[in-house]
Amino acid sequence: MTNQLAMSTAPHSRRLPNLKVLAESALLIVLIYAVMAVVYVSVQPSALSPYAIEALLNNSLPLMLAAAGATFVILQGGFDLSVAGIISLVNVVIAVMPVDGPLGALANLGVALSIGIAVGAVNGFLVAGLRIQAIAATLATMIVCQGAALLILGAPGGYVPDFMVYDLTGSVFGVPVALVIILAVIALWSLYRRTDAGRNLLAVGQDRKAAGLSGINVERTEFFSFVWAGAFYALAAYMLAAQTSTGSPSAGEPFLLLSFAAVALGGTAFGGGRGGVTASLFGAATLTLMQKVLFALGVSSFYTGVIQGLIMILAVLFAAAVRYAVRSRRVA
Amino acid sequence: MADVLSVQALSKQYGATIALRGVDLGIRRGEVHAILGENGAGKSTLVKLLSGVVEPDGGSLSLDGAPYRPASIRDARRMGVSTAFQELSLVPDLTVAENMLLPKVSTGRFWPESLASIIRRGRDLLERFDVHDIPADAVVSDLSLAQRQRIEITRALSHARRLLVLDEPTAALPDTGWLFSQIRRATGDGVGVLYISHRLSEVREICGRATVLRNGSSIGTVALEGVDDAGIFSMMVGHRPEAEKRTALRPNKGAEVLLETRNLRGGLLKGVDLSLHAGEIVGVAGLEGQGQQALLRLVGGAMRPGGGEIIVGGAKAMLTSPQKAQRTPPGIVFVPEERKTEGIFDTLTAAANIALAEFATGGRERLVNGRAERLLARQSAERVSLSPRYLDFEVGNLSGGNQQKVLLARALMTGARILVLFDPARGVDVGTKQSIYQMMRHFAELGGAILFYSSELPELVQLSSRCLVLYDGRLAAEVPQEALSEARLLAAAHGHGERPTNDLRMAV
Amino acid sequence: MTGPHPAAELSDTAAKDTRTAQKVSSTTVAVLAIYGLVAVLILASRAVSPSLGGLSQIETVFYLSAFLVFCAFGQGLVILVRGLDLSIASMITLGAILSTTLMGGSNDGLLYLVPAILLVCAMVGVVSGIGITFFAIPPFIMTMAVGIIVYSLCLGVTGGTPRGFPSPMLREFMQDRFVGIPSPVWLLGLFVILGTVLQGYSSLGRKLTAVGNNPAAAHVAGLSARRLTILAYAISAACAGFTGILLAAYSNGATLRMGDAYLLPSIAAVVVGGSSILGGRGSFLGTVGGALLLTTLSTILSALGIGQGWKTITEGLVILAALILLRDEVFTALQTRFRRTA
Repeated sequence: MTNQLAMSTAPHSRRLPNLKVLAESALLIVLIYAVMAVVYVSVQPSALSPYAIEALLNNSLPLMLAAAGATFVILQGGFDLSVAGIISLVNVVIAVMPVDGPLGALANLGVALSIGIAVGAVNGFLVAGLRIQAIAATLATMIVCQGAALLILGAPGGYVPDFMVYDLTGSVFGVPVALVIILAVIALWSLYRRTDAGRNLLAVGQDRKAAGLSGINVERTEFFSFVWAGAFYALAAYMLAAQTSTGSPSAGEPFLLLSFAAVALGGTAFGGGRGGVTASLFGAATLTLMQKVLFALGVSSFYTGVIQGLIMILAVLFAAAVRYAVRSRRVA
Repeated sequence: MADVLSVQALSKQYGATIALRGVDLGIRRGEVHAILGENGAGKSTLVKLLSGVVEPDGGSLSLDGAPYRPASIRDARRMGVSTAFQELSLVPDLTVAENMLLPKVSTGRFWPESLASIIRRGRDLLERFDVHDIPADAVVSDLSLAQRQRIEITRALSHARRLLVLDEPTAALPDTGWLFSQIRRATGDGVGVLYISHRLSEVREICGRATVLRNGSSIGTVALEGVDDAGIFSMMVGHRPEAEKRTALRPNKGAEVLLETRNLRGGLLKGVDLSLHAGEIVGVAGLEGQGQQALLRLVGGAMRPGGGEIIVGGAKAMLTSPQKAQRTPPGIVFVPEERKTEGIFDTLTAAANIALAEFATGGRERLVNGRAERLLARQSAERVSLSPRYLDFEVGNLSGGNQQKVLLARALMTGARILVLFDPARGVDVGTKQSIYQMMRHFAELGGAILFYSSELPELVQLSSRCLVLYDGRLAAEVPQEALSEARLLAAAHGHGERPTNDLRMAV
Repeated sequence: MTGPHPAAELSDTAAKDTRTAQKVSSTTVAVLAIYGLVAVLILASRAVSPSLGGLSQIETVFYLSAFLVFCAFGQGLVILVRGLDLSIASMITLGAILSTTLMGGSNDGLLYLVPAILLVCAMVGVVSGIGITFFAIPPFIMTMAVGIIVYSLCLGVTGGTPRGFPSPMLREFMQDRFVGIPSPVWLLGLFVILGTVLQGYSSLGRKLTAVGNNPAAAHVAGLSARRLTILAYAISAACAGFTGILLAAYSNGATLRMGDAYLLPSIAAVVVGGSSILGGRGSFLGTVGGALLLTTLSTILSALGIGQGWKTITEGLVILAALILLRDEVFTALQTRFRRTA
């Protein structure tokens, strides 16, 4: 009874590696970072000394780790504001732990990770289990964590083991510890995204409904994205404590907006499905480096915010322009 | 023969909405069993219950005699039940092979499997189900809709050991050859198939028995050989449909020209001249992807032209947005194909959805409340025979047919004299179809003009004052009312009167 | 409400849809629940301290919540159109600094300065809106960047220490009473009425809701989705600026971090008030309820004299409890329960 006029005339798939790789991998942000590094070194040649490199890496590391954590949640299409709370909480807990030496540092790490994972699991339960909007749920946990941080340490202070302060911010065999950690995170991510869990994370971000109908356990994927995030925030707080050698109940606050800025700078799409941890690491490193460059160029510290804001906007526009170019080539 | 699946008194309720009230059916081993029913009869809920997406509130399911109560899609698959979903459940940026194997893609225990090896396994699966033209390493978002549908079906086939659920599997397929041969192979292995389709001819070809759903209940199961189409329809709607009359309007060439295009280009459209007179319904026919979508979107202001001119009400017009089109006298309003994505506002009431047209075109802001919107919407709702009691419903809770009526009522509300409709009766039930046809005729009788595309030839033949046939982005033929027939349109749609090829379904 | 119907009556008419529209929407229940919670909190606080739970506490709550309500209205509109405004803190600071520096402790030009400041703020909102609509920059990034830029400009121009004072007339207004009630509370009442009408009972509100619910459909339906979105950001920025002006008048001067205390609470008030953070659904009365709840809580906790840590924890837990209790699932469950017992 119906004569269907349906016939496929769509062209066969064609893949365009070059531009696409550029648009959808960390390459773009790595290039931006490299350009900025060249600028930095040309204004400040002393930046190439081993000490300066080590200091730069140490400065960048906490934000890089926090951004790496945020990426897990953003990739599946979620949002996690608890970063500020978890970093503050873990930071003060480390500052009040009466331990020292390498074993003490290890104990601190264990405690830090347990807190991060526990809060992440609470977030995951609220969002994946109780279906509360992610921004709202993580806002609440952030506030609770901040309160807990204030309870533990009312004002900045405390004591961070010397091993953390000196050895973890130094070098082993001439390689800065921070660099080792960064490379480890990159390696971990490159492996993780090829596992089923990593593939599912991106799949859920791309199309939640299709992922669910394909048999992916969407709730589980969401849940573990928050757990991963919590663990990375804790690690960020741990390294922050090592770097600042003290604890502060408001240590996490600057990380709230900056970690998201870093993720965006790395080209990871808000809404999920596209991007990666490596790109966010470089996004965060770029933000830190940018401050140094502006300082080296003699921009009044009052106005660095103006440039930071503009660069964030431009970076997002630039990434969008490259993606647009890829898409129009695909259509053509 | 034993039933592979038996369903008893199945019911499901979403909040205050009862989706299924009591469904009984049995599917035999190796049988292809059709589910027939209007939109909103409960077919998609049944699919969701069988595939483990939602759990039932009451009734019982059993699979090969054992109780069957899947808690998830994975659960259902483990028990040998798999589904090819109507909305296609493929993840866009993954390869075909990865999608085929989801959710457990990698076989590596300690180290993730390499993509090359995953693709090799995906290719083997595709080969097993005779899919030879889709590369396993292609990214799904690069595939055509028809290719995606075949991947969706292939994936379901690969998991179906007992029951295969196919929900509108041919919606995007150019022909049924491959699908039917795969279904026959599956049934040969003893798999039961539950087959849902709007196309009765197709159902008659492949299915043995059918269960008819109406309003959430199963009306009965019939052997398809023993019942004619009219009988099935009367089971579906509860009464015998009136014989379809051909009551197209007389063309009136002397009437005022409301809209003209000159060498209009854009997207797949490569240059079309047409004119639209007051009081006529101009149909547009064409195989998929011949530029009809571009033509209607361009005229409706929903797409920027690549060249050419549009003349509205005697003056050259730049239709840069749907809003501009609505405001260019005598007014053009576009109703798109995608109801969900481009049509409805699902959490607003039907009245608010309709009355919105008034706020969009009327310049001044004003105060409104639910009652004011109901009063505003009522008249337009009547013109599409939308029952006034639906006006207070959130549109997301209405059936597809009623959602379409809401969209058409909103279009009428704008007061535009030119209606541009993309497949206005697609996927809606018989009753709604008749209401839509009636509204269209009435609109033209009052001096409006309609440009509409339809994927169903009988609809074009029945409604058009004349019909334009597109082929490869150009006008292949203009068929006047006297010469309108399905065969004529089909021939023209293939470019200049050639015989239709085999990959088009000749269903009648 | 109709119960389940007997299955399958074979009638001569087409299949009947026997559902009825829900008379009471879950949003309405959520709003009522929030106000109920506020009332319970205030009454219960009487048990904690005799100075609490009275009319004076209610007055204080209304007074203090006014600032949050003003900026949460804008935040609510932005969230309604699927956005998020992180520039609110900076815009409050901008409004405060502009008002103290331009007014310089005098009443001259008050009549044109206030609208002018609001206009400047609105223009900043327009910039955010343009970046989000025309350049497709994620709202989160765009408003954060604009916020950082505005803050940095405030910092640079004032050299870190804002000078000047608000107009004395504004200061008096913040302290005056009219018919026994503080004038800012009257202002709050007026604002709530106007805001409710704008968001819930005007064609503009309907259009914004439609854009938030389905932007593509809004475009096809003939709405200027971009212009409406930009408008939401402009209103939000202006509301934040307005909050800044009043805050400066309230505290007799501006500080750079003046707005920080309002950014997250403005989001919290909106979501606790039952709006969807994904846009397209929400009521301003809910947001007002959310703001009242947050303020009530904070006044009670302050009066209790407990430490900042416990105070913060309790606030977080109450937000969490509200979120858990006000879910759609809870309403559905309650509805089914009631239907069964009825």
